[in-house]
Amino acid sequence: MNKENRHPLHINTKKCVGCVHCMTSCPTKAIRIRDGKARIIGEFCIDCGECLRFCPQDAIDSHTTSFSDLNAFKYKVAIPATVLYGQFDNATLPNEILFALRRVGFDSIYELSTICELNSAATEKFLNSHPRPRPFIASTCPVVVRLIQRRYPTLIDLIVPIEPPREIAAKILRANLPRVLKVKPSDIGIIHITPCPAKMVSINYPVSMEKSYLDGAISIRDIYKPVLQALRQSKDEAIMSRLFPETIFSGLGLGTALSGGETRGLKNRRTVAVSGIQDTIRVLNQVEMGMLRDVDLLECMVCPDGCVGGPLAVENRFMAKSRILRLVSLLGERSVVDDSDTNALYQKNFMSFTHSLKPVKATPLDADPVRAIQKAKHRNRIIKQLPGKDCGACGAPDCRTLADDIIRGLALLTDCPFMMKEKK
Amino acid sequence: MTEAVSFQQEFKVKGGDFSRGGEASCEIKNLLRDLGLDPQLVRRAAIACYEAEMNIIMYAWQGQLDLLVTPHRIRIIAEDKGPGIADIKQAMREGYSTATPEMRELGFGAGMGLANIKKNTDTFRITSKVGRGTRLELTIKTNGRKA
Repeated sequence: MNKENRHPLHINTKKCVGCVHCMTSCPTKAIRIRDGKARIIGEFCIDCGECLRFCPQDAIDSHTTSFSDLNAFKYKVAIPATVLYGQFDNATLPNEILFALRRVGFDSIYELSTICELNSAATEKFLNSHPRPRPFIASTCPVVVRLIQRRYPTLIDLIVPIEPPREIAAKILRANLPRVLKVKPSDIGIIHITPCPAKMVSINYPVSMEKSYLDGAISIRDIYKPVLQALRQSKDEAIMSRLFPETIFSGLGLGTALSGGETRGLKNRRTVAVSGIQDTIRVLNQVEMGMLRDVDLLECMVCPDGCVGGPLAVENRFMAKSRILRLVSLLGERSVVDDSDTNALYQKNFMSFTHSLKPVKATPLDADPVRAIQKAKHRNRIIKQLPGKDCGACGAPDCRTLADDIIRGLALLTDCPFMMKEKK
Repeated sequence: MTEAVSFQQEFKVKGGDFSRGGEASCEIKNLLRDLGLDPQLVRRAAIACYEAEMNIIMYAWQGQLDLLVTPHRIRIIAEDKGPGIADIKQAMREGYSTATPEMRELGFGAGMGLANIKKNTDTFRITSKVGRGTRLELTIKTNGRKA
């Protein structure tokens, strides 16, 4: 199978003008410009969506689930990420948004904040029963998991082996909905609504379980307009949803849309919350060097400010964050998940990974150690020759990467315009 | 015969430059990874380099890490111009540290540095002259490398 197809992010070659924005913003140097168009190298891509954020031409498509895909299911269930509650104006309450989703075409909607709280509580139990090693790293952000598998293989055992809230929620629904609704299991489609392109990979190619409990993920970007229209058309329903709230929301759980949200519930623990891809890489480097040993839980979210800064969200993250913080303070710190429920599920390993994470080995310069050393020397000589301007005109993000590509037989020294000039 | 093939690179480290602390070790780590060495081995080398680098930054005026990789081993020489260590035995003891309160506030100075370097390397040699500087010579065998 073509590995490239595993990734949700694709270059729209009709729109791509071959500028260098995506290439230079890519944290894993997974983009090259070839024949005037950007290309994503599947082996290096961790699905973070930075390219999508930086592309001025809107030329990066995110292949998430579309509305028409939903027709495959007789019974459609939505599990919206709590980020969704920050996308509409201040007057729009979560209950109204859930009502609007029903109008958009979902048969039922399951609210995730309670499960987020459950996930935090399970993480706490895990930390309590595992005094070593430290720091453990939260597994919620699928990009962080993929980054660790590829760049920090020695840190794999530090990842908390508990499934993220979206999967736990879908697993609970899978176990109960067919019975409750008297519907065939295969007729039920459970769809996550998300600001994150990486969720699609974690659903289609899960790394910690055999098969995802979710059937797909719709981006907030795609669902925003229909939800907005539904909100406008259904004023009466809005009143009803306020007077007869269907769901209990967890203030503790809702906060997990923001960086620091997962660690907030862990009261007696030393925690560190990091957000943004560059800072995540910096801190993981420190962990690999043996630092942060006095920290119990490290929460890394590759999007700025956490999921609220996801590339497929609509509202700017500052507004969304402010709204979510307001909801969190309205709901308070009261726990809505019963500790005995958490205990029961935790004891059954209901929330645990069923597959252990495997490192994804990077391709060395050469499989033969002697030749690899020779190539590293050669690469250093090329780096010295190159101008060091990191202009991107050669099609690689910087001179160092061009040197690496040359050594690996993927580029030529003459791809560098400065080298061409010298020859003349 | 194959020992003749070697990769050598120097990394300058400036004393007191905390903001760039770890950069040299990080570069060394990436390089060893590119060479296809076993990740656990790379991590041991990276931790040893990092501790040596931070020692230079914290205590010395200037110094360098000199990396040499052959098919069978990694050798790192960390050499600095600095105050030197009067009592090496004491400095090697876990928990012993001459770090200032400022350094400790930054999370350094737990007194594990030299001991940690020794723990992560196969050979460890330290020489020091008070008022002149310190030299560490470390090697990690890579024979056990998995392709």
